[in-house]
Amino acid sequence: MSQNILKRIANGDQSAVQDCLKSYGGLVWSLARRMLRNSDDAEDAVQEIFVDVWKNAARYDEAQSSETTFVAMIARRRLIDRIRFTQRRISADSIDDMLTEPARTGDADIQTLVEGREAFRALKGLRPEQQQVLQLSIVQGLSHQEIADATGMPLGTVKTHARRGLLQARELMGVGDLGKEVSV
Amino acid sequence: MTKKFDDRTLDLLCEQALNGLTREQRQELDSLDARAFDSLEANELELAAVKLSLIGLEKDAQLPEHLFSKILADSAGHVKGEQNVFTKPRTEPVTAREPSGGLFGWLGWAAAAIACIALVVTIFNTRGTTEVAGPTPPEQTNEVLTPAQLRQRLIESEQALVRAEWAKGNVPQSEGISGDVVWSDSKQEGFMRIKGLPVNDASKEQYQLWIFEDGKLEEHPKDGGVFDVNDAGEVIIPINAKLKTIDPKAFAITVEKPGGVVVSSRKQIAGLAAVKPSQT
Repeated sequence: MSQNILKRIANGDQSAVQDCLKSYGGLVWSLARRMLRNSDDAEDAVQEIFVDVWKNAARYDEAQSSETTFVAMIARRRLIDRIRFTQRRISADSIDDMLTEPARTGDADIQTLVEGREAFRALKGLRPEQQQVLQLSIVQGLSHQEIADATGMPLGTVKTHARRGLLQARELMGVGDLGKEVSV
Repeated sequence: MTKKFDDRTLDLLCEQALNGLTREQRQELDSLDARAFDSLEANELELAAVKLSLIGLEKDAQLPEHLFSKILADSAGHVKGEQNVFTKPRTEPVTAREPSGGLFGWLGWAAAAIACIALVVTIFNTRGTTEVAGPTPPEQTNEVLTPAQLRQRLIESEQALVRAEWAKGNVPQSEGISGDVVWSDSKQEGFMRIKGLPVNDASKEQYQLWIFEDGKLEEHPKDGGVFDVNDAGEVIIPINAKLKTIDPKAFAITVEKPGGVVVSSRKQIAGLAAVKPSQT
């Protein structure tokens, strides 16, 4: 049922809005708080993200991605824009907590859990320094410069690990095998 | 996979996927290859980053209630649905606090509610009629539905509806209240139909729905959301239960500050609706 939510929204079914918030509200809220680290900012961002979701729901194509991926992509774009605009980035205060098994999300969002574990397996297939950089960059939302400051790696090295790690993770997750474009 | 772009272009595409591009980086990317920004390669890298971002998300994260309500209320204009009547979202964070009414407030509340339940039970038993209309097949439609249509659709599609009728509360303005509540446990969806409540000034006060699952009227009922009453006569309001609600026994409307409260003092009860015994 959850995979039909965006189509229902695109068709103007307002009851689907509540389903969408119940299914993906936690995902978006969690992403926003992790990347912005400020509840006020996160609240503003989440509202903007869901406006984007309502506006783009008609563009969702279940043949190209899961709804979870689609919503998460919209969320990340908006959050990155917000970080770039405000220049408010998080501090690298929890590096030791990185590289742990992904926490189980709610049972209602199995798709998030499945895709998170798939990504985790791909991440574990990378070299340790690539894992660390990608964790800090994507999962914790640090800029390359902040990663360099937090880890002591030269900035160029951070960029190299990020690029090679992302390219390899893409291959490991089979993203390139999709052969299709997820348009948002 | 075929690599279509040179190293610097790939660098920028990775940066775009990970952190977004600055204006200067975007210009550089465009100058290197104008197709790169929207290329399949760019899309795949972003998709990989999105999937990686799902790692380690907060366990059982949920939207805060007030944020859920606000987004839900604000969605009407964007989802092309008809604006429903509970258009006033919570505008400020609400904090838990002890009810100011104390024990006497709760006793008054309980007495009023029990009297209401007794009245409803009596009326129901003596009337000996049923209000359940024969179900008709729901129409399959993609049209935008009004709250009234959504309510009707729920009634027609759900056999095991919880139903209750509104009766007056403890404020004089509630003397003329009428209408009903329908609720579906399986769909976690329901509607209030209300007539006779005064139009409220949303800048000063709002109505708030409470849902009781315990027949003894528990101390902390579930928040059913805040709403406003307009001058349209009968209003139909979707119930916005913040938590999973099963087999509710009674519903109550209180008058609260704008945005609602976490715990009601129950000093101003605008309506009570007890579920009929045959429906429990």
